[in-house]
Amino acid sequence: MFRPRISLDPAAKLLRLHQLRDKTWIKPANLRQGVVVVGRQLNLIYFWEKKWFFIAMAIGVLMLNLPLPDDLSQGAMAVLTMSVVATILFITEPVPLPTVALMIIIAEVILLGLDSTQVAKTLMTDSVLFIMGSLMLAVAVVKQKLDKRIAWLLVRITGTKTSRICFGISVTSGILASFIGEHTVAAMMLPVGITLITLTSDDPRKVRNLAAVILFSIAYGASVAGIGTPSGGARNAIMIGYWKEFFYNPTDPESYHFLVDYMKWMMYAYPMFLVQLPFVTLILLMTFRPEYRDLSRAVVKLRAQVEEEGPMKRGDWMAIFLFFLTLIGWIFWSGDYGMGTIAILGAAGFLVTGLVRWDDINSGVNWGVVLLYAAAISLGVEMKVSGAAQWVAAHFMTLLTPLGADQGFGLWAAVSLLTTFVTNTMSNGAAVAVLGPIVLKLAVVANESPIVIGFITAISSAFAYLTVVGTPACTIVYASGYLKTTDFLTVGWKMVLMSTIIMLLAASVYWPLLGV
Amino acid sequence: MDDVVETKPREDRFRILVCIDGSDESYQCLRYAAKLGGGVDADIVLLYVRPLDQGLRSGGLEVSVARENMLKWGLELPGIKYLKKGRDILIEMGIMGDDWDEKSTNTSVEGDPLGDNKIEYIEETGKEVVLKLKVAADVATGILEQWGLGPYDIIILGSSGRRRGIAKSLWDPAVAEKVATHAPCSVLVARELDVGHGHLICTDGSDISMDTVRKDAYLASRCECPVSLISVALDHEGEADARRHVEEAEKELASIGIEVQETIVKIGNPVDQIVEAGPDYSVIVVSDTSKTGLQRFFQGSIAYKVMQESFTSVMIVR
Repeated sequence: MFRPRISLDPAAKLLRLHQLRDKTWIKPANLRQGVVVVGRQLNLIYFWEKKWFFIAMAIGVLMLNLPLPDDLSQGAMAVLTMSVVATILFITEPVPLPTVALMIIIAEVILLGLDSTQVAKTLMTDSVLFIMGSLMLAVAVVKQKLDKRIAWLLVRITGTKTSRICFGISVTSGILASFIGEHTVAAMMLPVGITLITLTSDDPRKVRNLAAVILFSIAYGASVAGIGTPSGGARNAIMIGYWKEFFYNPTDPESYHFLVDYMKWMMYAYPMFLVQLPFVTLILLMTFRPEYRDLSRAVVKLRAQVEEEGPMKRGDWMAIFLFFLTLIGWIFWSGDYGMGTIAILGAAGFLVTGLVRWDDINSGVNWGVVLLYAAAISLGVEMKVSGAAQWVAAHFMTLLTPLGADQGFGLWAAVSLLTTFVTNTMSNGAAVAVLGPIVLKLAVVANESPIVIGFITAISSAFAYLTVVGTPACTIVYASGYLKTTDFLTVGWKMVLMSTIIMLLAASVYWPLLGV
Repeated sequence: MDDVVETKPREDRFRILVCIDGSDESYQCLRYAAKLGGGVDADIVLLYVRPLDQGLRSGGLEVSVARENMLKWGLELPGIKYLKKGRDILIEMGIMGDDWDEKSTNTSVEGDPLGDNKIEYIEETGKEVVLKLKVAADVATGILEQWGLGPYDIIILGSSGRRRGIAKSLWDPAVAEKVATHAPCSVLVARELDVGHGHLICTDGSDISMDTVRKDAYLASRCECPVSLISVALDHEGEADARRHVEEAEKELASIGIEVQETIVKIGNPVDQIVEAGPDYSVIVVSDTSKTGLQRFFQGSIAYKVMQESFTSVMIVR
């Protein structure tokens, strides 16, 4: 009798296994049969995979057939339905996200009865142009290989102590991200961070905590900076667009303060970013406690590697010059020409001087994102026009009143909490696009400043530290393969707490000094 | 296409797909796979699935831009290190030699400029060990797509935990659950997989479970693991039937030359009883009921409940 635990000689065992296989195991023909079974089940699998799409559609149909509340028009209900369906699809992603944009456009024409040309016009605003131009600039900047120069400067200034290097990475990532967007900086700084990690040890498990501290210094350094200027992230441009769309009236000088330009945004948000920086390093070092306190070996090797590049070339200087020119344009002329125009002027400059190829920009920018933001903003505008935003805001207010969160600090905290929750489930730009119209109307209902509530929403949307998909920088550093999704939770809640406290302090102490 | 052409002639071989993610659990899986795939008639494929680089979550800037930047710095793609560590473990265990022929292949993948990467190590006897770095929308999809390129006799993967509620499973099925649900071949979901304690095969006397008994006996023979049988009766009235089921299974195994180490008959809730008996064994073996994902969700399935509840590794046999 064959006893599995008694070893036979290899040839005998092989023969025995072949005999057994013939009697017991699946033959290739049966395997093919299995494939046929899978084929038969394919339709069910398709429905299972797309379940959230069908659930969203069912909810949409249900909402459209519900009896209309007295204070809500048919059009407003349709817009509300579109927003609910879009939100479910944004969060669950059963279909590629640009599909949601296409569906919004179709629904605006079919459900709202809008003219197709009119819908098309609402898709392209200065905010969308700005998002598009910034993304093209981002690719152009990453392609310049300035990362090695930055790495060289970084290690020269910080020295070799781990804590100083991490703080240096956060500061560098932060300052750059505040102007050129967190995704750009994450893409540029990621190789610097990984090189430091791999030069310290080849075994990822020996540098597990060090990797977390360095990579999160990049991601969170860039994330806290994304609020600093309008070019820090798409969400900022979206909120600027909403302020203008919702409150600006060319015939009313009182409404001019709703035209928020680059400089005005910076005055509100930049100090907040700077205050957060030391806390980022502190939280990371206390949470992960890196295995190495000194990175001398890695820094020496990195320096040698970077110095192989030689001195700065003419192209490098030209890229820096062009970028600073764009930055100056944003600061001084965005009020006259629009931030979008200046962004695409900068991108055009990089193309004209040959510093970047169109093919690189074409493959580096995900144009679906531009389409997505365009459609989301268009839906946000319809929320306002149809009265749906006003209706949701009024009812949300009745929920907040018993909690004492219907005005002042309570309302700010409630808006921040809501935004933080939503932004951790979808991209932060989409979160602001969805929530913006509601919270701005909420500010009107509560007799609060829409500027303050708008800033709280846009800034809180950056507090997506808890998930990989929350912020672009987190997604990019996660692509390194060194981090686990649970790492984001471990440290993220501390970051959310720190950022929320600093923002609420700024809203109650600093912003009033600016005359809000 | 190249992959399909290359793997077709290997259909008569025993092919094992081991999913590697760098965790200790995944290397435990690999060690078990090495035991299963030790003979010259077996191939072992180590798979690391890298999520597709896409720009929507990275704010519109394609992750590939960052990825290309990393490669320019001479940094490896994530996963390569983990796969190479897996290969070193196999060399250390004597499953493969460091002088085997090596062949690298890159396959383009729509939406990812870096595509799939594969290193094949082939022995003169035809035995093959493959390191595969695959790009897919998500890990479970990548594993299932890789099965399609195989096919494979068994997929082995680690599970991060147990007890996921219905709501959570509906929201985001764990990789192991998703693979176990959709894979057309047997799937071993490993939890603290310790090779030496044998297989506990569950039987209820049905034709499907008898098939499972036979198929697992083959697997147990491959890794020289002892085999035990368990049948659970819902109440005392069913005890005689349960006993009959294990005896029939024991007889069936004896007819193909396999000795059963232990037979167990229990009374009570089958899921609870099987899960309770599990920790004394390396693997609990259950049959797939051939229910589809939706049927399973609405009607329930002992196999999947055992997989969700168990502290021990569970193999779903198809």
